[in-house]
Amino acid sequence: MITVEHLHKSFKLFASPRDRLKEALTGKSHHTQHMALCDVSFGVQPGEILGVLGQNGAGKSTLLKLMTGVLLPDSGRIDIQGRVTGLLELGTGFNTELSGADNITANALMLGMSRVEIEQRREEIIAFSELGDYIHEPLRTYSSGMVMRLGFAIAIHADPACLLVDEALSVGDGYFQQKCMQRIRDFKAQGGTILFVSHDLNAVKVLCDRAIVLEGGHIVANDTPATAVNHYNRIMAKQASQEAQRQGEENVAFGTQEVVVTACQVEGQESQSHMISSGEVLNIHLRLKANATLEDIALGILVRDRFGQDVFGQNTHQHQQKIAMQAGEVRDVYVSVKADIAVGKYTLSAALHPSDHHLSRCYWWHDHLATFEVAGYRESKFSGICRLSCEFSFLTRVD
Amino acid sequence: MQMLRRLQHQLPLVMLLTRQELIDRHKSSLLGRTWTLLSPLINILVFVLIFSTIMGARLEGFGAEVDQYTYSIYLISGILAWTVFAKSLSAITNIFMDRAGMITKVNVSLRALPFAPLLSEAIVYLIGMAFFAVFLLLIGFPISELWLGVPLVLALQLAFTYGLGLLLAVLAVYIKDIREAVAVLLPVWFWLTPIVYVDDIIPPWAREVIALNPLFQFVDAYRALILYQQMPNIAGLAVILGVTLTLLYVALWLLNRTERDLRDSL
Repeated sequence: MITVEHLHKSFKLFASPRDRLKEALTGKSHHTQHMALCDVSFGVQPGEILGVLGQNGAGKSTLLKLMTGVLLPDSGRIDIQGRVTGLLELGTGFNTELSGADNITANALMLGMSRVEIEQRREEIIAFSELGDYIHEPLRTYSSGMVMRLGFAIAIHADPACLLVDEALSVGDGYFQQKCMQRIRDFKAQGGTILFVSHDLNAVKVLCDRAIVLEGGHIVANDTPATAVNHYNRIMAKQASQEAQRQGEENVAFGTQEVVVTACQVEGQESQSHMISSGEVLNIHLRLKANATLEDIALGILVRDRFGQDVFGQNTHQHQQKIAMQAGEVRDVYVSVKADIAVGKYTLSAALHPSDHHLSRCYWWHDHLATFEVAGYRESKFSGICRLSCEFSFLTRVD
Repeated sequence: MQMLRRLQHQLPLVMLLTRQELIDRHKSSLLGRTWTLLSPLINILVFVLIFSTIMGARLEGFGAEVDQYTYSIYLISGILAWTVFAKSLSAITNIFMDRAGMITKVNVSLRALPFAPLLSEAIVYLIGMAFFAVFLLLIGFPISELWLGVPLVLALQLAFTYGLGLLLAVLAVYIKDIREAVAVLLPVWFWLTPIVYVDDIIPPWAREVIALNPLFQFVDAYRALILYQQMPNIAGLAVILGVTLTLLYVALWLLNRTERDLRDSL
């Protein structure tokens, strides 16, 4: 069981380490303060998994570190019954010169297991890690996935009362991740208490009983996973639109400006925000303003993924549509795109140019006009970057 | 009391770290753990060979049959004690920074961590002393019951090292210069202690100053027990005991006072 009451934690930022000592000794202030956690209270019952959501810097790691006792709180109370093991310290103290078997002892001792416990569980740990005979090879010959497997195997066998699961789990391959997830479910079924920190919103929805959302060190939601995830999405969406606005100010469009886009809005048909599900229709609303009379304008949009790779682009010319505008005319354009693309962050670029090609002459071109994010799948899940139409048929053969 | 219980809880971890420093660091080498024994042995052999056989250095006023070895005994008893002090002090001074990866990930006691280098160096010292005793037996030098005092002096010396080391370790997190300063000042301290030279050559006025040097008191005590076969300077050791207790108190007070902040800054 975990009880956390009115937890406060601040980090002090100092001009020099010496100021830090001066203050620690005299108590006189020499710092600027950064509030990492502010009045955080929650409880987790045995057999319960609490999800923790929050953006980078929201205080998730600080919270976990306070719970393991690696950091000490300014004020407030953390009450944890039984041994607490964090999966955030996977493989701490591993010595790469030693064999996997020797490292089990070292790492398990650090997690607070006794020598007797270690010997009792050694076989189980080795079996779970699936390292086989590699267990007797020095750790430096292991792949990072193998190191992670060994680390997780030890941590889960430390038989804690409370388990703190961090992003560390996402290192392994799909098969081992599933095995870990199953193990976490078993642990819960046996009455273990789990704190699950993740950016994987689906995992939080599937695995957790409840979830809290941290924002700027405060708990802004403590609710069912579905509600908490929505709350988190709203925070993310707000930030995404701010980001888009900022980037809009930064990269100015280029071109002859004979016709320009004066406003742009991107939102999912159902979600009504920058956060959409894969398979949802993305509605793009652009407002065009012509500064000259043009007979033959082509409008193009381009979706790029987080690597800057073109995912999809099309223009009105390819649709055999032509736009003609008078000088001073303003026209609204609605584009709807079925976003059958993988989960991730995307940017939208738009361009206006004479039909056929923008290379000869360009009226207006703007990269990073807007951003949106695909989170979760509306229909069946898929791997890769986009959905292709796919069907499985079966025929039993009787020879 | 609570601190002691927590230390006891961390004992297996301390033993593991000690073991790592002693044995595991030689794991990938050909001779493996033999190195742990080899380095003190070779040290002793070198001193004996150079100062007894080759240079034939002598100290006057001791039994004629061991005359040839007297300076070696003087030197070795001092240098073994110095080595355990210097090595563990510099290791403890840097321990919070060197172990930052561990401290920021698992819940280890900052008070327990320094015991790992302290114990491993003490074990190296005891191995050295065992070789030393064998050497004394071989040359027929008497080993009296005064040797029983050696562990007591060692215990005091280790407590002193722990107190001073912990104090420096906390400060070193805030003042990075301390790491360098300790590295530079330890050799100076070495030459301020009559280890290589005989304290007879010190002018009388300087002797009172040197008597304030805790390391001189330790080295002097070992020599009294091993070489001169007499009771050490109890008054001097009592003063050092007082110094040690003060150091321990100050170091632990400082750590208690700064621990939260110290953990933040690692």
